[in-house]
Formats: sequence, structure tokens, C-alpha cells
Amino acid sequence: MPREVTVVDANLGNLDSVERAMVQVGAAVVVTGDPDRIAAARMLVFPGQGAFGEVTNEIVDGALGAAIRVVIGRGDPYLGICVGMQLLFEDSEENGGQRGLGVLPGHVRRFPSGMTSFPGTRPLKIPHVGWNDVHPIDEHFYFSHSYYVDGVDPNDVMWTTRYGTLEFPAAISHNNIIGCQFHPEKSQWAGLRFLRSFILGGRG
Amino acid sequence: MLKRRIIPCLDIKDGRVVKGVHFVGLRDGGDPVEACRAYDAQGADEICMLDITATVEGRATFVDVVRRVARQTFAPLTVGGGIRREADVRRLMVAGADKVAINSAIVTNPRLISELAARYGSQCIVAAVDVRRMPARPGDVEPLYEVVIHGGRRSTGLDAIRWCEEVAELGAGEIMLTSMDRDGTRDGYDLWITREISRRVPIPVIASGGVGSLEHLREGLADAEGCAGADAALAASIFHFGLFTIGEAKAYLQEKGVPVRPPEPSRFASHV
Repeated sequence: MPREVTVVDANLGNLDSVERAMVQVGAAVVVTGDPDRIAAARMLVFPGQGAFGEVTNEIVDGALGAAIRVVIGRGDPYLGICVGMQLLFEDSEENGGQRGLGVLPGHVRRFPSGMTSFPGTRPLKIPHVGWNDVHPIDEHFYFSHSYYVDGVDPNDVMWTTRYGTLEFPAAISHNNIIGCQFHPEKSQWAGLRFLRSFILGGRG
Repeated sequence: MLKRRIIPCLDIKDGRVVKGVHFVGLRDGGDPVEACRAYDAQGADEICMLDITATVEGRATFVDVVRRVARQTFAPLTVGGGIRREADVRRLMVAGADKVAINSAIVTNPRLISELAARYGSQCIVAAVDVRRMPARPGDVEPLYEVVIHGGRRSTGLDAIRWCEEVAELGAGEIMLTSMDRDGTRDGYDLWITREISRRVPIPVIASGGVGSLEHLREGLADAEGCAGADAALAASIFHFGLFTIGEAKAYLQEKGVPVRPPEPSRFASHV
């Protein structure tokens, strides 16, 4: 029987691609924004693109945030993608400073401007857009973001990626929680493999 | 490290690929879904579709094409052509586009960039900038490039470099820079303006217009002297006519020291 995966619809961008990718790797997918159904999920995926701001404030303070805490607290598998991962941390610098769910220690920060790969070379572009390799698994994933998580407990860092001189968490893992800064649903074979291992209960 | 991207680009008219895509294994080269699936399987880093339809019905058809392509591919999808207002962007994003490329509308209404960036995030908003080199005048210290719109038919009087700096400040996440002098020529990218904008503007630049060989891709992407150092390279005919696969392009670039994501594992290629 296919694993049932609940995808959180929090008005944070298009969910179609995440839904299709989950189906492709064998999940039965329910997409919902209903906090009760989310709280009852046996496996929860929270995709998000875009920004910390009004929408995330409502999530953090509202029933949706409470439902997500219920699932995480119960120990059921949770996968946060991009903003869906960032929201797990304490706060974000984005849009003048916003609170997160505070499930894990860490802060969402903007890439420093003027960062270079080597002294004297041209500054790196922000947003960090495109395919970057993650360590230690040596696989490429598609990234598209201007903010990253800083100050994460080293035990929670699963994979890292280097952008210029900065090494940041590409994926985090803590008990039943997995989070990724990249977009597995847009990362072709590598992304599908990652999602498949999530639904099989692996670590990506 | 972050890799330079290879982006095949399809022009779509009335729901069909203009001039078609002709490589081994495709049954219907005019079908955008089949073409995009093939590029996805070849390991394209991103796929771009531009709608060149002029009619209202054609526009609706394009949204449907985007929906069907998005359902069958697992690569980032950038779409553009004829986007005038927020409602157009919303339709395309709902259909499954990851990014929208906007050209004329942001020239007439630059505020649109900040409005869209606030709503969808900068990473979704690609400023499509078409440029043309101006005739040299006595006393010029460097060549001047002007922004043109409506497929190059209308000049704007905007300086290309200053306009690109402005779109970045307004919140665009990337610039798709097309040389109208080179577009369709297969003479290679306009390296001078691509290099200047890549150097001066703090957001990624996609080089476009003129690719006729793999060496042109290298010139566009490499940081070496005389090259443009763009973050991504858009190309159409060299891929559509089956001259090279995406994998062959990447193998060439890798050998020349340009950082690219390695060609895809063969077991995935056999998927299509």
C-alpha cells in the first residue's frame, strides 16, 4: 500500500510539483490547509517558497503552526522544504525580522552581500540560484534562495553546501524532522531519490 | 560550488514548438511536452519556454502547455512572453511555472517588479532584458547598448547597464539578457555586454542570443579573459536540431574547466 503523505497548503506557492514528485516516488498524497487534517497526518511535508512575512506570521501564530507542532511532537515524520524548513527555527531576518516556530535552535539570515569565492574575484550573486553540490553525499540539488539557516546545532546538520566562503546547512535532521534548503521536487533524479528515502523512513 | 546552468529554450506559438525540435527518439517535434521531457531526461539544468503568440486564445493555450509540461518534468521551469500584469503571472505560477520572465511590461511599469517580488519572492521574477548595440559615436569610451522592447521593434532610450542595475534594485531575482543583434545568428553571445552586466549587477545573469556551437557556451559562461562569466547559458537551435545533447554540452564545458553539473547518469536517460 502506498504511504500516505499530507502536503501542507499554507498559501506559500504552488504545490503541484511537490505533489507530483511525491506521487512519482510512490506516495499517496493529500494536499490540505485544514489544521485538523494536518494534525492527524502520519507523514507531513511542508513545502514553501517565497518569503518570511505576513503568511508565515499567520502560520506561526495560528492553528496551522499548532497542527505542525502536534505532528512533530508526536514523532511522526516531517519534511520541511525551503521556507518549510526555515520556519522550524527561532527567527528570520527577512522583512524586518520575523518569528519562526522555534522547534529547533537556529536563525535564518540573509547571505552577506559582497561575499566572494576568492579574494579579488567578483562578488557572488544573491539569490543563490542553481545546482550546487552537497556534502558529504556529493550529489547536486537545485537551490533558489537568499536566506540560509545559521547557528544550527551541529548535531542537527545532515548535509552542507558551500556558497563562496560560506558553508551552510543544505539539509537538517533531528529525530523525526528532516528539512532541506534545496528543492527536491525540482532536482530531477537526485531529488526524487531524496523524497523516496524520506517516505521510506530513511535519512535522505 | 554553484554550477553554471545550461538552459534549453523553446519558442511556443499557438501551443506548438516554433520550427519544431528534431532529435533522435522524438515522435512529434512540435509537441512542447515531449521536447521538455526529453530535455529533462538529458539533464537540462532548467527549461525555458517563451510564448510568441499574439492572440488571446493563443495565450490561454500557452498556460495549458505550461501546465502539461510542469506535470511531466522535474526541473525548474521558466516561462515568459506576453506577461503584462500580476494576473498573468498568477496564471502561469498556478499552472506550475517556477519563474516568470517579464520584458516589455517592466519597462513601461518598473514598479511591477517590486510588486511581484513582494508577492512571489525575488527568486520567481526574471527580468528579460533585450539589448542592442548603438552605433559608435566619436568620443565614446565604451560601447553603448540600448534596451529594446516588442521583439526589438521599439527602442526605449534606456541604457542597458543602468536598466539592469535598476531591475536588480527593484527586486528582480535574475536577468535574462538577450542580444537582439546576435539572436538567431549563431555567431555567439554578445560577450562585451554580457560580461559588463554580469560583473556589475548583484543578481544572476542568463546569457541569451546567438549560440551556434559548444564553444559559444563556454565563452558565455567561463570567467577567463575574453569570456562573459554569465551564471547561465540559454540556447535553442544547437539543442533543438540535435547537433548536441545537453550531456555533450556539459561534457565539453567540464573538460574546458567550466563548473557544470555532471551529465546525468545513463539509467535516467533510458527513462524516456
